[in-house]
Amino acid sequence: MKPSRLPQLLPMLLLLLLPTSIALAAPAAVQADDFPTSGRVEYVLECMQKHDGKYEYLYKCSCVVDRIARALRYDDYVAMSVALRNQSLAGERGGEFRDEVSVRNMASKYKEIEAGANKACAVPQR
Amino acid sequence: MSFQSRLTCLAGCLAGSLALIAGAAFAADSDTAKLTKDPKNWAMQAGNLNNHRYSELKQITSKNAKNLTVAWTFSTGVLRGHEGGPLVIGDTMYLHSPFPNKVFAIALEDQSIRWKYEPKQDPTVIPVMCCDTVNRGLAYANGKIFLQQADTTLVALDAKTGNELWKVKVGDPKLGETTTNTPHVFKDKILTGISGGEFGVRGRITAHDINTGKVLWKAYSTGPDNELIVDPNKTMTWTDGKMAPIGANSSLKTWQGDQWKLGGGTTWGWYSYDPDLNTVYYGTGNPSTWNPRQRPGDNKWSMTIFARDLDTGMAKWVYQMTPHDEWDYDGVNEMILADIKVKGKPRKALVHFDRNGFAYTMDRVSGELLVAEKYDPVVNWATHIDMKSGRPQVVAKYSTDKNGPDVNTKGVCPSALGTKDQQPASYSPRTGLFYVPTNHVCMDYEPFQIEYTAGQPYVGSTLSMYAAPNSHGGMGNFIAWDAGTGKMVWSKPERFSVWSGALSTAGDVVFYGTLEGYLKAVDLNGKELWKFKTPSGIIGNVTTWEYKGKQYVGVLSGIGGWAGIGLAAGLTKGNEGLGAVGGYKDLAKYTELGGVLTVFALPDR
Repeated sequence: MKPSRLPQLLPMLLLLLLPTSIALAAPAAVQADDFPTSGRVEYVLECMQKHDGKYEYLYKCSCVVDRIARALRYDDYVAMSVALRNQSLAGERGGEFRDEVSVRNMASKYKEIEAGANKACAVPQR
Repeated sequence: MSFQSRLTCLAGCLAGSLALIAGAAFAADSDTAKLTKDPKNWAMQAGNLNNHRYSELKQITSKNAKNLTVAWTFSTGVLRGHEGGPLVIGDTMYLHSPFPNKVFAIALEDQSIRWKYEPKQDPTVIPVMCCDTVNRGLAYANGKIFLQQADTTLVALDAKTGNELWKVKVGDPKLGETTTNTPHVFKDKILTGISGGEFGVRGRITAHDINTGKVLWKAYSTGPDNELIVDPNKTMTWTDGKMAPIGANSSLKTWQGDQWKLGGGTTWGWYSYDPDLNTVYYGTGNPSTWNPRQRPGDNKWSMTIFARDLDTGMAKWVYQMTPHDEWDYDGVNEMILADIKVKGKPRKALVHFDRNGFAYTMDRVSGELLVAEKYDPVVNWATHIDMKSGRPQVVAKYSTDKNGPDVNTKGVCPSALGTKDQQPASYSPRTGLFYVPTNHVCMDYEPFQIEYTAGQPYVGSTLSMYAAPNSHGGMGNFIAWDAGTGKMVWSKPERFSVWSGALSTAGDVVFYGTLEGYLKAVDLNGKELWKFKTPSGIIGNVTTWEYKGKQYVGVLSGIGGWAGIGLAAGLTKGNEGLGAVGGYKDLAKYTELGGVLTVFALPDR
């Protein structure tokens, strides 16, 4: 890489680092509440499905995703929930999610936040 | 049979055999290359013969890409990793799925399914697939769709009806041989490869007649000269700063005893073809096992770029990138053919971003090595490629061979996933640059002694992977590369590795997908213009086409870790749960659930 390109790159690097470190250090402090409607609907549909599609979970799952949205920026929620989902990814490439400490930390942090939201919204853990 | 019908047959059969003779004599080209010249189509997995993954379409531009919106979606009904992408020819899309390798013909008009094909395959093939049950997509020629199934069956389907026309088996899953690659149609032939480098298979490619499936030639990566299809005096390789013949037994003498029989050198990547030179280009994978101490020597021709005559299979030149691999740096990644200036001089070049972290620029006519530079600065296993010998200068402390079995070699960059795996880069003839999805991951690697058992993994190494230390903390980058100088132009950091194939267009937009599931559009400076969250991580390749005056962009998502998994399960049950019974029942005609192709377009004004 040409050294002259570095200054252009640095802001991009910082942009990437900043939200990650904030999300991991103090998720509750981030009050962006920036989830798009599609992100919330997606969460609710999946969550309802997990609970046999019972109508009461429309309310309970909405409650959960609203709480998660208050705790995390949407981008961080996406990355952290992906980190959790892919812990069991098959094959060699699953190692990227299982071996890397920061990814494992993202996964466990997300698990903790979701568990807290579930508890507050009377959703049994599944 | 009546006399009348016998007469008819006589005339008809005669005409038929005449046509066959004519076909053999003139080796009529398929229509594939011609179809790729119309940018409305996406007629090959890479868009064209050169592996460019570039489109002339320019309705979607760097100015309006921010307005892209979902046009339609299609689910394959399979919940495993979805690689490759759709083909579009005229008013029809052809889409594949991972194992069980379903094929759909979809009407672009209303997304209804014209036909569906699902082969019967023995599920015992699944455990012998090293890296998920992926399939990298279909091929098309002369009214036929070609599918390379996981169980190594190559099948030709009638593109209008989905009926089977012919099938041939190119390997044996009981020996650990499977297939994941797309078949490639070049001129009048269809070429396919083999996977199973983790099972001690012997890599090769086969060329088949597109009309019958008959094997026309078969060329191994390892073994005696006649099975390699090389001419010891005419097949050339880079030697002491110039091209020289490879000589007799070039492969055999680089293996101990008959280890070449389990030598690996598999061929599951993206091939390309230059019609003017009548030459096909592809790479070979790692030597088996991953424990390098067990296979002394250079292990030729694993980890090699092959240039072969399409008609005979004869190798014109070869270049081994990673002699005696010690890190699983497969050489199968795409071979991109581009006419560019290299160090100021116009060249017919071949550009290859290898797993080993070096980007190679070769003269594709002669096979000369022109440029070999790191395309991620963290690459550390070799200091550089010695341009005279063409060999990497390996750093002793990262040599898993020197450190030996049962020693954990730490901090090797890149990891076994490579600085880039198969996810293909894009070349824009407009900018002359390459847009490359990469990994930014390092590893600890510990080889161990292993015995070969047919059909069992022959890996012999444990490893652990992590984000490149002392960098931005993420595990991927999306970069722009100048292959004429071997320099990075820009690099856009990503939190996870970028495992989707890129697309560049005449609208000066570059697309790629991320493991979070975002499809992203960036401008020519790498500035993000737009992103959209699809239902799962993206390891498919971005494609574009035009239908009824509108440009579309589509990408498969699906890597496991499904945001929509509950949704998928629920919808197949029809009336459970979501209360939209009737609607979803109708939907069944149009879609299945699972991996999702999401299609985008600009909104109507």
